[in-house]
Amino acid sequence: MTNHETALAIQEALWVKWRQYAVTAGRVGLGVALLIAWKLGADAAGPLYAADPIKVFQRIVSDTISGSLLRHIYVTLRLAGVGFAIGCTFGVALPFLLRRVPRLTRAVEPYIMASVGVPKYALVPLFILWFGIDDAPKLWLVGLLVFYPIFIAVFAGIRNVDRGLISMARVVGASEAMISREVIWNALLPFFFTALKIALPRALSAAIIGEFLVGNEGLGYMIEYSRQNVDTTGVFTGIVVATVLVLVINAALVRLDRHFNAWRPIDRDMEL
Amino acid sequence: MVVMLAIWQGLSAAFGTYWIGSPWGVAARLASGVVSGETLRHASYTLLEATAGFLIGGLPAAALPFALRRLPIVTAILDPFMVAGYGAPKLALAPLFILWFGIGIESKIALVAITVFFIVYFSALAGVRALDSRLVQMAQVMGADERDLARHIVFPGAVPYIFAGFRIAMPYSIGGAVIAELISANRGLGYLVQLGAMNFDTTAVFVALAATICIVFLGNWSVNAVERRLLRWRPRPGLDVQGGS
Amino acid sequence: MATEALLEVRGLSKRFGDRVGRDPSPWVIQDLSFVVNEGEFLTIIGPSGSGKTTLLNMLAQIDTASGGEIRFQSQVAPIRDPKSLKPGLACKIGYVTQEDNLLPWRTTLQNVLFPLTVQRRLNDETRARAQMLIHAVGLAGFEQHYPHELSGGMRKRASLIRTLVYDPPVILMDEPFGALDAQTRTQLQEDLLRLWNLGRKTIVFVTHDIAEAIALGDRTLVLSRSPASIAGEHCNPIPRPRDIRGIMIHPEFGALYHRIRVQVQ
Repeated sequence: MTNHETALAIQEALWVKWRQYAVTAGRVGLGVALLIAWKLGADAAGPLYAADPIKVFQRIVSDTISGSLLRHIYVTLRLAGVGFAIGCTFGVALPFLLRRVPRLTRAVEPYIMASVGVPKYALVPLFILWFGIDDAPKLWLVGLLVFYPIFIAVFAGIRNVDRGLISMARVVGASEAMISREVIWNALLPFFFTALKIALPRALSAAIIGEFLVGNEGLGYMIEYSRQNVDTTGVFTGIVVATVLVLVINAALVRLDRHFNAWRPIDRDMEL
Repeated sequence: MVVMLAIWQGLSAAFGTYWIGSPWGVAARLASGVVSGETLRHASYTLLEATAGFLIGGLPAAALPFALRRLPIVTAILDPFMVAGYGAPKLALAPLFILWFGIGIESKIALVAITVFFIVYFSALAGVRALDSRLVQMAQVMGADERDLARHIVFPGAVPYIFAGFRIAMPYSIGGAVIAELISANRGLGYLVQLGAMNFDTTAVFVALAATICIVFLGNWSVNAVERRLLRWRPRPGLDVQGGS
Repeated sequence: MATEALLEVRGLSKRFGDRVGRDPSPWVIQDLSFVVNEGEFLTIIGPSGSGKTTLLNMLAQIDTASGGEIRFQSQVAPIRDPKSLKPGLACKIGYVTQEDNLLPWRTTLQNVLFPLTVQRRLNDETRARAQMLIHAVGLAGFEQHYPHELSGGMRKRASLIRTLVYDPPVILMDEPFGALDAQTRTQLQEDLLRLWNLGRKTIVFVTHDIAEAIALGDRTLVLSRSPASIAGEHCNPIPRPRDIRGIMIHPEFGALYHRIRVQVQ
């Protein structure tokens, strides 16, 4: 290598290193700056509008010790989990069932696609009317919000399975059930995982928002109740905990996804 | 279609209009609501919230990646915060905004704006990143400076991506407005839904829901119409005029 | 012809992708030297992969060189450091690339006017020139079409006149007619020569087609295989104006073709 080239290459390597440090430092700095801004904002705006971060932290600690926070978290997670299971089951099962009856599919599909446009949250008062003020309306909400992305993904995935593979399997003598299991399920796995990444955080969000509207337990209830009592610290606490929870689940999902699908060629279009 | 209506009517008759408003009743109520202007008033209120929030959140979000194009370090620094913002449940902030801005229109607009912001940001970022370097080189050879590049190459190339983001964000904007109204409001379609439910007036609820669906269609249509106009230069999928002379 | 060469390449060398600590990658171009005289139509032939596009990229200054130098009008061009590159050398060097690189969101007319817009030279006179060129290559009537509505050949023509419209003194062309069918290619070759005759620009035209090189050029350079350098130089004795369609039956054609052919192997 000529001296000139060596010089350029070393320059390049140093520049990359410097950039990495700068980016990390910038991120840490920005995070710290945001926290400071929060504190200053709280001091300036007064306890009515903005809760002091220190007080929020204290509230989190005290609520955790008293157990009430954990109870709320548990209730919300349980709600999200059950609703997710219901929505997921239907979302996966329905396309497979529809696959066997093409005429039904043709009839039903446009309505399902049209109903995507309905804001499901708006249905909550209706659910309350129908199912009472217990967990039921919230479960319906979560279930519906989970159902749609899963259904669409599985449905599209089944549609896109290579017909050649299915024919081959039939020729070899596989039963319909086996075909469903081997060929189709594996083919739509990546679509399913992408939908999962959307549906799981949605389930949690839906649970929280459902709790805004009905119920007397859970994170959403805690936030709304605090608001009605003008307990700003409580509102902030609830929001912080809810946000952290969702972000943790998101991060865990990303990690799981990477682990299980590491052997698949990554399709950039499916990220985020 | 007719079958669906028949099923709907059947269910309504079977369960009674307490549970399911009959299609006839809903249509009649909807018509009277439109005529009296009441439904339209509430609908326009919700639409206003959604549109204002959409623009307040969407336009800066679309502009930000352009502004930061020459500063990749800043974009990298912001990235985890943006991802966190995208993943965090913005709708959970609804009570906070109501606390801050009251039950009026501002809290709804704020909620919609922040929801739309993160969605559009990532779409716009993808659009700016999808820059075809050969086009850039070509323009540079012809004497384009940074401003020319941004205006003639980067921006038009990113517009399809930005509109994809708009299309995704639009239902969220209406949904966000409605949700905020459900929690606390005295006007708007969400308020109507809540009111109908509290009065055990299922038909009213159905009417409000039907109006909401209409607005969603309207929103979809608008975004698509604007996109079609701006993106006339895009090849329509399936048609190919390649090859030969 | 001017006594001093317009463009001078001395000992040019290029290789890609060096990282500190790894084995050096092979030279793509090594010790390449030639001159281009003003008003000359120079054709360059080489087998595929011989670095023809890389050479043009360096001449257009959108890529750096690993060694050697390029002089334009006796001034050394800064091509060693990526940050000091001046693409197009202040619009003195035009470049018609292999892909048409038309902006998909602009109509044909807007695409042709694009360099004028960017150079802030858009006025009635330049617009008229653009229209003239559009007619000259047979794109009249397609001014309002978008690139995706044009055929490959039409896009090529648009890309060609887009460079011609702002009249750079030197024009580089990278196999501009390569992907076209024979009819269109011959037509465009005639159009190009006709337009070149109007202004006698300096053109550096890269191709893999020996017949094309002979039909168009005053002089033909042959590049060797990797690492590329000048394998030979052939002056073209066939007088102008040239008959493209009948070039092959010109008495001098066969011998010249053969000489070049032998060297390209």
